Amino acid sequence: MPRLSIDGVEIEVEKGTTVLEAARALRKDVPHYCWHPGLSVAGNCRICLVEVEGMRGVQISCNLPAADGMKVRTSSDAAVKARADVMELLLINHPLDCPICDQAGECKLQEYSFELGSGRSRFDVPKNHKRKAVEFSDRVVFDAERCIVCTRCVRFTKEITGTDELTVVQRGDRSEIDTAPGKSLTGNYQMNVVDICPVGALTSADFRFRSRVWFMEQTRTVCSSCSRGCNVLAGTRWNRVLRLVPAENAEVNRWWMCDRGRLDIREPAAEDRLAGARLMRGGVQVGVEPGEAVAALAAALAEARAAGGAGLFGLVSARLTTEEAWLARLLLRDHAGSPNLDLLPRTGEADGFLETADRNPNTEGVRAAGIAPAVGGFGLDGFRAAAEAGRVKWAVLVGEDLSGRPEDLAALAKVPFTAFIGSHDRGAAATATVVLPGATWAEKDGVLVNGDGRAQRIRPLVRCPGDARPESRILLDLLAAAGAAGAPDPSSSPAFLVKAMAAAVPALAGLTLGGLGERGAPLRGRTGVARVGTGVEV
Amino acid sequence: MSDRPGYRTVERPALTLADRLVFPAILKGMAITASHIFEKKVTMQYPEEKWTLPEYYRGVPSLVMDDENREKCVACSLCEFVCPPRAITIVPEERPGGGREEKQPAVFDIDMLRCIFCGYCEEVCPEEAIFMSKEYEVVGRSREEMVFHKDRLYEIGGVRKDPHRKWKNADDEARAQGRGHGHGPAQV
Ligand code: SF4
Ligand code: SF4
Ligand code: SF4
Ligand code: SF4
Ligand code: FES
Repeated sequence: MPRLSIDGVEIEVEKGTTVLEAARALRKDVPHYCWHPGLSVAGNCRICLVEVEGMRGVQISCNLPAADGMKVRTSSDAAVKARADVMELLLINHPLDCPICDQAGECKLQEYSFELGSGRSRFDVPKNHKRKAVEFSDRVVFDAERCIVCTRCVRFTKEITGTDELTVVQRGDRSEIDTAPGKSLTGNYQMNVVDICPVGALTSADFRFRSRVWFMEQTRTVCSSCSRGCNVLAGTRWNRVLRLVPAENAEVNRWWMCDRGRLDIREPAAEDRLAGARLMRGGVQVGVEPGEAVAALAAALAEARAAGGAGLFGLVSARLTTEEAWLARLLLRDHAGSPNLDLLPRTGEADGFLETADRNPNTEGVRAAGIAPAVGGFGLDGFRAAAEAGRVKWAVLVGEDLSGRPEDLAALAKVPFTAFIGSHDRGAAATATVVLPGATWAEKDGVLVNGDGRAQRIRPLVRCPGDARPESRILLDLLAAAGAAGAPDPSSSPAFLVKAMAAAVPALAGLTLGGLGERGAPLRGRTGVARVGTGVEV
Repeated sequence: MSDRPGYRTVERPALTLADRLVFPAILKGMAITASHIFEKKVTMQYPEEKWTLPEYYRGVPSLVMDDENREKCVACSLCEFVCPPRAITIVPEERPGGGREEKQPAVFDIDMLRCIFCGYCEEVCPEEAIFMSKEYEVVGRSREEMVFHKDRLYEIGGVRKDPHRKWKNADDEARAQGRGHGHGPAQV
């Protein structure tokens, strides 16, 4: 194993490690454009120059294997001067686009220019102009003038998606990126090129001009669009989620995420969000205080409990957090005695990369919390027949409105008492006896368990509209109103809820919210790809 | 009389006869007033008459059009960022027309109840699009009225000749090189 010194600090690295990687292991960030940890080395941008004792001139550190006894200086005068020269060359034809460029504020060209550049250009000849606002697809917009031809995007389509759609055309200072004539970028991962472009040459059509990045609050959370649970950085402003970009997590999504998940940010701000509670009175729903609706539902559950619980059906969404599912189980099964609990499966096709067949983000967690038909009970499949036969007297839907499922809605119409706790005024919300406004993934703090059994924390990004609240809060109130034995206090914090759940559910033993850290942790005893956890209490 | 420590008793001055009569003092005051009638007038009949403001005067911030009637602001939002009392609200949008500016403000509001007339917005603007005007009569009958929208800000700002023509020059240069805006084949 080679042992080298970087700026006087010794480090031993695996054979084959580059000097740039060794420097990063020491938390020295050598400037780089073309190098990306998830892509092959191209070595074309030359900004990563360092000085190595005994080697002539300066060397690019991203393509220089660390060797025994090497003495590297990352910020010697010669290295810094060489980098400043590279910057000057890169900026010869660069447009003065920062005021209109979406990358501004998170642009490496700006950063290194600020560090190394001069405020003045020594070139007074007209700049070499290129195409702007070129639609590579309906999701990705390209600006050739801003491109520094680092080929990260080209390597992404070659190495990661294998679609091989982008290439460098022309030579010298006319080089730019293009698709094949008449072709466009395709597929469910194309927007990743926007993230990896170190400058503003590739921008997202969806986010374009929506907000300058420095105004957005950036929160690390988890995508809720499939059971992969890609780690994401959510950008929010004006109480809206404006953008999701992948956050690196080697155990889950590495540096990438799919476009479907990325663009799934409209629901929290949809027009038909429920903002108030409603009660059915004389055949019409009327708006009521949430407390009144909670009392009405608690009273119905008391009846169901008195009748033994067999006539009660509970549908608990696999989009809820694990704690919410557990609270729903406490209420509907442990308290009201229903053997008929189930979740609504959502499936699609697994693409072999990130997107999984299970499009619910928390099937594992919700199942672990005990949402499944008990012996003698029925699930969603059995519900229809049972409802037709008049065996279902009460139905409680938590986080699922059954919109787009006409047969289930027809069966639901046969149930005398239905309650809907959820975020949107859709499907069952229109006919339910009790409606309580809930929250979307963007408004909750809690634990999701992905398809590999990795527990990860989602965080609240925006505020709920009106009287809407996370389902956990509503369920806690219902448990209190029902007088359920052993239920957590209604004022319990998210962290306390997780602790209480972990103490009660063996499959989730040891889980704590704090222990999940930024990157989550595999549940105890789980095997799967996600084994290398951080800070797990197991 | 107090003999508390730290206190000192001051003797009242004894009043003279003239003091006690009061009228001489009134007459003296009136004489001073009357003498001013013949001096040069220094008051100004505001609002009929107004000051000539110095060049450096900072009145309400305003937006300007260039001499080709184009919105100079490209909604870079730097003024919104720098504004200490957060008086500015900008919502950017795509600019139609295919020019290099690409972006413009859909909404540009300045809350004049918040504005402290510091001039930072003018200072920071990379496009020379926002200027401190000489307008200082800011009145309104409601809070909403005190939020100046884009049209009002342009009305105050008017037109300024653009000596740089940053985007236009680049557009012209590109055209001279045979390279336009938007989709097209890569360059040869
Ligand atoms: S578009 Fe961006 S990622 Fe692609 S080569 Fe140009 S600068 Fe690099
Ligand atoms: S792969 Fe799944 S978790 Fe990842 S971004 Fe796509 S939908 Fe979200
Ligand atoms: S003058 Fe100062 S306070 Fe007023 S809008 Fe400009 S930056 Fe804000
Ligand atoms: S700084 Fe200038 S160009 Fe930028 S948003 Fe403000 S007025 Fe417009
Ligand atoms: S990062 Fe090393 S040459 Fe680009």
